[in-house]
Formats: sequence, structure tokens, C-alpha cells
Amino acid sequence: MGGLVVALLRCTDLRAEVDPLSGAITREPRTAALSASDAAALEHALRIGSAWGARVLAISLGGPEVEGPLREALALGAEVLRVATHQSYLEELVADEQALARALVTALAGELPDLVLCADRSADRGTGALPAFVAHELGVAQAPGLVSLELASLDGGETELLAERRLDYGRRERMRVPLPAVCSVEGAGVRLRRASLPASLAASGATIPVVDAALVPSAVRVVQARPARPRPRHLPAPTGTSRERLLALTGALLSHEPPVVVGPVDAPEAADALLEFLVHHGYLSRAPSGWAVT
Amino acid sequence: MTYDVIVVGAGPAGSSAALMAARAGLSVVLLERGPYPGSKNVYGGVVYGRVLDDVLPGWWEEVPVQRWVTRRSTMVLTGTQALTVDFRSGAWGQAPYNGCTTLRSDFDGWLAGKAVEAGAQLVTSTVATGLIREAGRVVGVRTDRPDGDLRATVVIAADGVNSLLAKELGLLPKTDPKHLTLGVKEVLSLPKDVIDERFGVRGEEGVDVEILGCTRGIAGGGFVYTNRDTLSVGVVVSVDGLAKSEVRPEQLVADLKAHPAIAPWVQGAEVKEYSAHLIPEGGYDHLPQLHAPGFLLTGDAAGLCLAAGIWLEGVNFAIGSGLAAGRAAAAHVLGGAELSSYRKDLESSFVLQDHKRLRKAPALVLSDRVQQRYPQLIADLVEGLFTVTNPTAKPGAISLLRGAAKRNGVKLRHLAADGLAGGRTFR
Ligand SMILES: Cc1cc2nc3c(=O)[nH]c(=O)nc-3n(C[C@H](O)[C@H](O)[C@H](O)COP(=O)(O)OP(=O)(O)OC[C@H]3O[C@@H](n4cnc5c(N)ncnc54)[C@H](O)[C@@H]3O)c2cc1C
Repeated sequence: MGGLVVALLRCTDLRAEVDPLSGAITREPRTAALSASDAAALEHALRIGSAWGARVLAISLGGPEVEGPLREALALGAEVLRVATHQSYLEELVADEQALARALVTALAGELPDLVLCADRSADRGTGALPAFVAHELGVAQAPGLVSLELASLDGGETELLAERRLDYGRRERMRVPLPAVCSVEGAGVRLRRASLPASLAASGATIPVVDAALVPSAVRVVQARPARPRPRHLPAPTGTSRERLLALTGALLSHEPPVVVGPVDAPEAADALLEFLVHHGYLSRAPSGWAVT
Repeated sequence: MTYDVIVVGAGPAGSSAALMAARAGLSVVLLERGPYPGSKNVYGGVVYGRVLDDVLPGWWEEVPVQRWVTRRSTMVLTGTQALTVDFRSGAWGQAPYNGCTTLRSDFDGWLAGKAVEAGAQLVTSTVATGLIREAGRVVGVRTDRPDGDLRATVVIAADGVNSLLAKELGLLPKTDPKHLTLGVKEVLSLPKDVIDERFGVRGEEGVDVEILGCTRGIAGGGFVYTNRDTLSVGVVVSVDGLAKSEVRPEQLVADLKAHPAIAPWVQGAEVKEYSAHLIPEGGYDHLPQLHAPGFLLTGDAAGLCLAAGIWLEGVNFAIGSGLAAGRAAAAHVLGGAELSSYRKDLESSFVLQDHKRLRKAPALVLSDRVQQRYPQLIADLVEGLFTVTNPTAKPGAISLLRGAAKRNGVKLRHLAADGLAGGRTFR
């Protein structure tokens, strides 16, 4: 069939340090690597590319730190391209996935791939919207969040692309993917193959082609960055009157045992008192052979 | 394709060997099992870089330093006492410096980068799984990559302590707990200004503290090193002694951190990292054969770490021996010189000269009396000297020494004999 399969890879420090107090993130350029989903995207690209006899192009946007994972892709037989950009623009782009998608698609210099593969969400930011924006920029179909992607043979030597993705409540959806398409994959089902030693040696000294990222104006302006706050949990609406709820919360009119002051006692006595307390409240039972949590 | 040299392990020894061989114009492959050099490496924290003066002039301007060690303390601890001998030098805070604290992932990456600049090919995430041998000669290595056999005229094993490649050739015994110690270390996070204040240093100045008597009588010692905004705190103990004691190594680090002399330094710090690694401490008398046909052994793999009580220097010895291995490989490939020139080169350099001079140090420093009796004896003596006993008159130093020796079960003739042995060892 020939053609072009593109793997859009995000290389990032998978073990970035997050300061627990300030939320400041420290990234190590030398530990930039592919996440499990990015690695799965590359593996799918290599498999499908080889089945179609198509060129496989691995693209990553970032500084020289992305060259390590790109070299690994090169050693696996892919063509590679680094889309270079300066750090502040990169941060802007990462915040605005539409602008990022435009910069990546521009790097293809007008070539329309048959298939674009990428991770379902990036390890560090991850709204998961990039694949949709890439599909929009290319004007092709999209199949997001796939757990499997296989080529099925049709009569006459043709193949079709079958994909499966998770739905809510443990259900799965099987899809026939029309081409060209953008598929984003979960890090599941496939494992990135290892490059051979001769290929790794050849790739270790190779020059990675670089193009400058097109300066796509970003629609998003970062005004302030703060530590990520977890989303609030969904809580059921309260029932009962406010008085009843307050009483339930404080236990004001319920009978309760007043706190007992034990001690001062030495450590063994304190331990015994604690065990007594736990037995009394039903957390422990006193089995003949020893203590058991109930 | 056959290379001139394959170096296994991109630690300080391997990168130095690769640097030297590549500079001589040889084709060199440097294999590292970690995803990047230094990713898997553990050490205490101080590198003495003067060994690089001739090889990388002005190295101090670019080495990824955390702090320059300007203060060095030796501490003797008992359960509640601490005696510290503290030395500071302004000269150590200026070029060409003495030692620096540096993180291995930074330092090893920097040194491997020098080898790559010189022309070596670095391949990471690749484990050398064995040697290829033909007609009694090592001719290459097997790796865990597909199509992973690689051939070379010389293979340099710089794969660190417990070298599997050296064991495969029978150069190292299968197990050797008597000549190995285990180092365990925590990296503790603290703001830089807090470290500066607690350790009495400023700017890029740093502190190296070596400690005796903090290992529950198990042969070994402890250390505290200051990095920019972390502390490295750990112990190094005899593997044999640790196994017999049935104490878990992390308990020893916890003890050290809880000691009244150490606790104020580490108070409020958060543990960032915990690691453990073996150290070869056999010294000169237990060095393996350093070469075989087509094969050189260097750095910790060859047991060339200098562990002699107040000194724990492995990185500079690894670099020194790695450079010599690279030179020997180059002389062999280019001029047909025997690989045995490697040992001769080491004998004439600090690497084996220091090991030879300090050959008795490991046994002395790890001996029962030095480890189990002397810390308490010294602390008792000093406590006696500085305790004001009025209205009783001050006791004489000799009677204090006698008393302390007796209380700690040390005979004065043992003290004299050990003093003499110490004098001879460290003369
Ligand atoms: C707790 C502790 C504290 C220490 N403190 C100090 C100190 O303060 N100062 C000091 O100078 N020294 C110190 N040392 C000693 C020092 O760390 C070592 O002497 C030094 O690292 C030896 O260098 P090397 O290159 O020989 O081995 P290593 O540093 O161990 O490097 C070996 C390299 O080989 C790689 N490797 C191993 N096997 C394979 C394989 N099969 N295939 C591919 N790659 C492989 C490893 O990943 C590693 O990168 C300390 C050691 C410990 C454990």
C-alpha cells in the first residue's frame, strides 16, 4: 500500500519532581522518555507501517532532550523529526493544544499521512484533546482512546483497521477506522520492541533532522500557574433538616463515652490500655492464640 | 563490525577508559545498562577531581558541582557522646579545589559526555550479559539487545563492584562477603539557607563529615555530606557483620539521624531518595588479576576503591584506573604492547601506590577494637578531661586513660600495639 504513518510523540520527564508545598515542577532533561501510551503509539505505527510497507515518521516537539527517545525510534527503523522551539513558546503551545496541533501539522510540510498515531493523553498535562485538534487540522477522522488497533485482511489483499476502546461501565466499542485517520492509543496491549544493537549503534551517532516550529499564535494566554488541585468529589446532596444534620455531625444529643485519661503510665501499660480500647470498640478480638483484627 | 575497544559500564572508570581510548583515535563503544550514565549509580557524595588535571584541564569550571568541600570533620560517636575534629580550609574553596559534592547522575553524565565528545559511541539501556571468548581470548561481549553480540580487540570491564564479567572469567570469587561492605544512604531535602546555617557554610562551600562508632558495633562507619539543597546521610558496614547482627541497614541510618549530634542537622528534612550499594574494601592484598588476554578490569570491578578509615575514595581511583586501562588498550591496539602494561602503569601511579601503602588499613580500621571499643574509650577519656569534678581535684590524663581503657575492656598494651600498627599503616 505504501504511504505514510506518523507517530506524534511527547517526550517528557516521567519522574519529574513536584514540590509538595509550592507545586513547583522540576524536570530533568536527561530523563525525557516516552510514556507507556507514547511507546504504544510508536509500536502501533511500526507494526502498521511495516504491514503496509509505508514510511513511518516519528515526530516530537521540544528541545534537544527529545533526541534520546527519537534516536530509539530511529534505531527501530522510523524516520524522525524534531520540531524545535524555544522553551517559553513550548510552554505556551503545551497549554493550548489547538496551537500545538497546528505547529505539529505544519511540520509535515503539506504531506497528508494515511494514519497518525499518538498517546491518548500526554503524561504531564493531558487533557487528551490534542488528537482531536490534529484530526481537525488534517481534516480526517479520529478514533481516540484505543486499547487495541489491528489490521484485518479483506478479500483481494486489502486490509482494514479495526480498533477497540473502553466505554464506561466496563463496556468496549469496536470500530472500523476509515483512512486517513488520527488514532490515539492507551498504553495497553502492545509493548515497544527493542532496537537491535547494530541499529542502536548506528542511531547513537546519527544527526536528528530538526525543523523550526511554525509560530502559531496561541489562543490561550497563561496568566498564572498554580499547583494542580484535585477535582472535588461528587457528594450526595444532604438529607434532613440543618438541625438534624448538625446534631448528627456533632453527636451532641447522643449518648457517648467521655474521654478517659489514662496515665501517666509506662509503655507496656499504655499498650495494654490501647489494646483494651480497641477490643472495647470492636476493632480487635482477643483470640486465645493472640490478637486478631475484626 | 569489530571495534577496537568495548567498555562495559559508563561509571567514572568506564567513561575515563573510553575517553582515553577514543582520544588515542580508537573506535570505542561504551555500553551502559541504565537509561543514562549515572542513573543507577550510588555513592556517598564527594569526588576528588584533581586526577583530571592533566586530562581535562580546568575541569572545575564545568564539573556539575553541588558544593566545594571546605570543611572536613571526623566524628566519634557513642550512644550519647560525640567528639569532632573539625578542619576548614579556604584553599579548598578556590581553584584547583580539593573535593566537591556532586550527584552521580550529573557527574557520570558529564564524564560520559567527554568520552562521547572524544569520539566514543555511548549506547544506553543495554546490558552486557556475558563475554565472547575464542581460543582463550576475550573477543567481545554479548548484550541483551536483539542481534546483540559485539566484537572488539579489547574489552574493558568497568561494570562496578561484583563484576559479573570478571566472575565469568574467574578473576573474582563467586561470593566474597568478607571483602565487601554495604553502603546505605538517604538523600534528605532541606532548603539551601537552612543547610548553610546548620553547617556554618556559605555560597558554594560544603561539608564532609566522616563518622566512627555509629553502627551498633558492626564494622563500618557513617557519613554526612552537604549538597546544594540536600544532605546525603548514610552508613557503610561490613556485609558479614551486618548479616551476623541481623540488624536491618535502614535501622542504622535511622539511628544515625536520631543521634543527638546529628538530629539537629537533619531536623525537618524530607527523605527524597534511599539507596544501597556494595563497596569493594579488600584493599591491595585482595586485588584480583587485572588483565586477561583481550580483557582489562578497572574501577570497582577490579576492587580499586580506597576504603581506609578516614578515606573513602572510589571515584578518583576509578577515574585513575580507567584512564590507565584506556591507555593500555590504546598501546595494545596501536603498538601491540602487552595488556600487562596496565598493571605496571597502575603500580607507578597513585592508584596502586596508595593501595599498597595503606594495604593494612582495611583490617585495622574494621578490627573489633577500633570498631567496638575505641569510640567509647575516646569519648570517655575526653569527657573525663572536660568534666569539672570540683571539689575533687582534676584527675591526671594517664589515670583517665587507664580508667577509660579498663571500663571498655582494653589493655594498655593493646592500645600501644594498635597505636603502633596505626602509625605503621598510615605513615
Ligand atoms: C554508599 C557509598 C558511598 C561512597 N562514597 C564515596 C565518596 O564519597 N567518594 C568516592 O570517591 N567514592 C565513594 N564511593 C565509592 C564509589 O562510588 C565507587 O568507587 C565508584 O563509583 C566506582 O566507579 P566505577 O566506574 O568503577 O563503578 P560504578 O560507579 O559502579 O559504575 C559501574 C557502571 O557500570 C554499569 N554496569 C554494570 N554492569 C553492567 C553491565 N552488565 N552492562 C552494562 N553496564 C553495566 C552500571 O550501571 C554503572 O553505570 C561510595 C560508594 C558507596 C556505595
